[in-house]
Amino acid sequence: MKSFNLSAIEAILEKHGKAEESLIAVLKDIQNHYGYLPQEALRHVSEKLAVPLSKIFCIATFYSFFSLEPRGKNVISVCQGTACHMKKGEEVVTSLTRALKLGTDKKTTSDGAFTLEKVRCMGCCSIAPAVRVNQDHYGQVTQNSVANILSKYGKV
Amino acid sequence: MKVSGKKDLQKLQKEGMAILFPDRTRIMVGMATCCLAKGSAEVMSALKDEIKKQGLKADVVSVGCIGLCYQEPTIEVVQPGKPKITYGEITPGKIPSLVACIKQGKVEKQSVLYRTDKEELPLNGGRHIFSKGAPQKEFKGIQEYSEVPFFKKQRKIALRNAGFIDPENISEYIARGGYSSLVNTLASMKPEDVIAEVTKAGLRGRSGGGFPTGVKWQACRKAEGKIKYMLCNVSEGDPGIGMHKSLLESDPHSVLEGMIIGAYAIGAKEGYIYISSGQTLGVRRMEKAVADAKAHGFLGKSILKSGFDFTVKVKEGAGAYVCGEESALIRSFEGDWGEPRQRPPYPAVSGLWGKPTVINNVETLANVPVIMGQGAKWFSSIGSEKSKGTKVFSIVGEVNRPGLIEVPMGTTLREIIYDVGGGLPRGKTLKAVLAGGPAGGCVPKKLMSLPVDYEALMQAGSAMSSGGIIVMGEDTCMVDMNKYLLSFSEGESCGKCTPCRVGVRRMREIITDISEGKGREGDVELLEKMALLIKDGALCNLGKTAPNPVLATLRYFKDEYQAHIKNKKCSAAVCTSLKK
Amino acid sequence: MVKLTIDGKKVEVPKGTTVLDAARKLDIHIPTLCFHEAITPYGGCRLCIVEVIRDGATQIASSCVYEAADGLEVKTATDRVLELRKFMVELLLAEAPEAQVLQDLAQELGVKAPKRFKVRNELCIACGQCVRACREIVGVSAIDFANKGYEKKASSPFFERSDACIGCGTCFSICPTGAITLKDLAEGETAELPDGTKVIGPARIIDNWKVGLAMKKCKQCGEPFAPQFQLEHFTKKVNLAADFYDVCVQCRT
Repeated sequence: MKSFNLSAIEAILEKHGKAEESLIAVLKDIQNHYGYLPQEALRHVSEKLAVPLSKIFCIATFYSFFSLEPRGKNVISVCQGTACHMKKGEEVVTSLTRALKLGTDKKTTSDGAFTLEKVRCMGCCSIAPAVRVNQDHYGQVTQNSVANILSKYGKV
Repeated sequence: MKVSGKKDLQKLQKEGMAILFPDRTRIMVGMATCCLAKGSAEVMSALKDEIKKQGLKADVVSVGCIGLCYQEPTIEVVQPGKPKITYGEITPGKIPSLVACIKQGKVEKQSVLYRTDKEELPLNGGRHIFSKGAPQKEFKGIQEYSEVPFFKKQRKIALRNAGFIDPENISEYIARGGYSSLVNTLASMKPEDVIAEVTKAGLRGRSGGGFPTGVKWQACRKAEGKIKYMLCNVSEGDPGIGMHKSLLESDPHSVLEGMIIGAYAIGAKEGYIYISSGQTLGVRRMEKAVADAKAHGFLGKSILKSGFDFTVKVKEGAGAYVCGEESALIRSFEGDWGEPRQRPPYPAVSGLWGKPTVINNVETLANVPVIMGQGAKWFSSIGSEKSKGTKVFSIVGEVNRPGLIEVPMGTTLREIIYDVGGGLPRGKTLKAVLAGGPAGGCVPKKLMSLPVDYEALMQAGSAMSSGGIIVMGEDTCMVDMNKYLLSFSEGESCGKCTPCRVGVRRMREIITDISEGKGREGDVELLEKMALLIKDGALCNLGKTAPNPVLATLRYFKDEYQAHIKNKKCSAAVCTSLKK
Repeated sequence: MVKLTIDGKKVEVPKGTTVLDAARKLDIHIPTLCFHEAITPYGGCRLCIVEVIRDGATQIASSCVYEAADGLEVKTATDRVLELRKFMVELLLAEAPEAQVLQDLAQELGVKAPKRFKVRNELCIACGQCVRACREIVGVSAIDFANKGYEKKASSPFFERSDACIGCGTCFSICPTGAITLKDLAEGETAELPDGTKVIGPARIIDNWKVGLAMKKCKQCGEPFAPQFQLEHFTKKVNLAADFYDVCVQCRT
């Protein structure tokens, strides 16, 4: 866990200019840097942009892109699009949940290596069911290919 | 170099042509997101290595998506005097023999898909001829592009360059006629004339309800105030379609050129392209396109010496389906949650920061340069009576050839599924087609002669929306599909108005009950009543369209609901709590 | 000025007036839930909906946010409107059956509690009055909406103790359903906030925002009269003398 470094946030704020309209872009960059939105970061943004903390929390909880919980080193996003649903995307979620020993409340593995998320349509409908790990996309994922994909990210 | 007029553009066009059709071999590899997911990066890497190894002098280019998703990774080879050859399902293992064939000017017969003798350039009605006259012996037995079943009924207008050019090279875009419409428009047309042309062409918004683009532009032009904004919405959230993403990744300039022409028409000096989350490649390609357009003088002050100033910024949003609703998009853009507002006032009159704003979809904008290049009469000769032009569709599900296609409006569902899509895989029987995603409705198999056109789809209880077509077989449960679609809308509801926030959730709860064998007598009647009230009472189009799948499934598959409720039966064997 | 017709009656109002306000000028009653005169209208509850006819087209619109225009024709109680209003109340009754305001509306509109929906018992119906009041009237924005869709409700940041809350109680008094609880603890009286924090009076507690604020005692009469933090806030904001609030309002007058 990174020790809290405000300078990263300062740099992000500088990059976007200190305007309220850049709020979402600022939060995105913060999430890209920390893997999630730490409370301290949001408090700092609130102060620097003179935007109420309650508004920032409102935005952070409105857009499903944002995570207020720390996420694992590798983020596995399983597509919830229609084509993926038809091609049994739920089974992929079940396989991954089982393989990583996660549950409905537990989304990140104890060793912090993986976080499993269900996401909105990725637009890879022709290769449904689709899974994204970090920036890598995988298509036609089955219960059997799940282990192979995980092994690429260090899962034994 | 900064383009100041037609002559400069022609010079660039010539230079671009030399890149597209060089004196030596040009090899194009599809590198859009889905291509990458299927391993095209490894193929590209293997290709580059093998070319070096075998000493082949060739230009290797990353291109976007040609829509042939079911046969990715694809490679296309252009050699002087020879037809273009397209190969599919390439793996790194197939590269050595492929390169060997290319070196000899031969066709690798195992992986070849088709050849292209000539290519249409819809922007100016021109064409490029790869090989004149009768095909040489080597290529004779290979099917020509125009005969390929997947492409035969398609007509690429919005997707005219997708897969044919390096999306990061503006010269290739210009070579195929790009920016000629902008040059001609600024040189010889007044903004009012542009609006008249687009109106006459009959262009309608390609996402959502299909509002006439010219009418929207006119309303904004006429609105009070000197400051106006042009916004391109790429917050695609419709599950089951990757069209917006594809256009950004494959041909960002087509969208940009349309946007510049639109801004000229409405009198906007600032434009924004608002891209939602998860589109890293698209964002990068669009940012490059904007930078290159600026460097060439297509953006900035007094563009092409016309006196018209226009700058564009790419802005990243956090993504929400409700941001497909214009007023919600505006709030999101301003740095807030995607809160829809009641209309009137319409964004064309009071939008971004209260100023008149036009919001257009990527596909709508991609059509604009073609309309300005070929004219309204030409454009309106394609399509049906009230739906002009073509539509990009993502055809997925139980279909042999899933992919991204573009067909004239008015093409029937039957033609799309069977002629273009290649029908259902062996052993699967057609049950229904879902068009329009969570805002649309399923069309049963008896209605396959339905033309894809805004009005026809709406009358049948479906919708055009972004253009998702999902083919469903007999092993799809309509109750389950409805539950899935409603869950999506429920999850994306912004929560502002009672009918959507609470009503959609309660409808979904009832359908969940039905899918779990807990349906009650009267549920079907209650669902229908709720659906109609939510449609009438919701504040924005998310709420107004969320009940559509319910109404469509009740209209065509009521017996399935009854079977679930009365007999606790799910004939598709999807609802696991029920018997088959 | 603009001229419009509501339920057949003509009325003239200044430009910018909402249809709701125009109707009130005519003493025509339109039920509301998320509306309050002191804050900007929201248009979310959809109780105040009416039929608006403009350029030949009819639209269902929230009257509290629809701007009156010349030639507008409004119908406030057609069958279509009444059926929709009943539906809204039915939906909300299953959310918060205990809320008096909803029971009153149910009676007014002739609505029975729906049997098919499982009762949720969540008094917050996401009307946003508290949020708008805290932002516009009080000016501290201690609270805002959190989440979207069905889970949307007014909340303090991170669902934890709000640092910005000054304990003025505006949210408590404006909330139409009584979803917000506020209590003043007497000297020595104790309570536990939902996050486990123990508070000893004299203090003001607002459970929803996990706020427990010590009350200031008047130097003259010794009675606790306002949260200390609130007084510090106003002292700073309006640049008052440090001892301005040493004495309570009653003793000052």
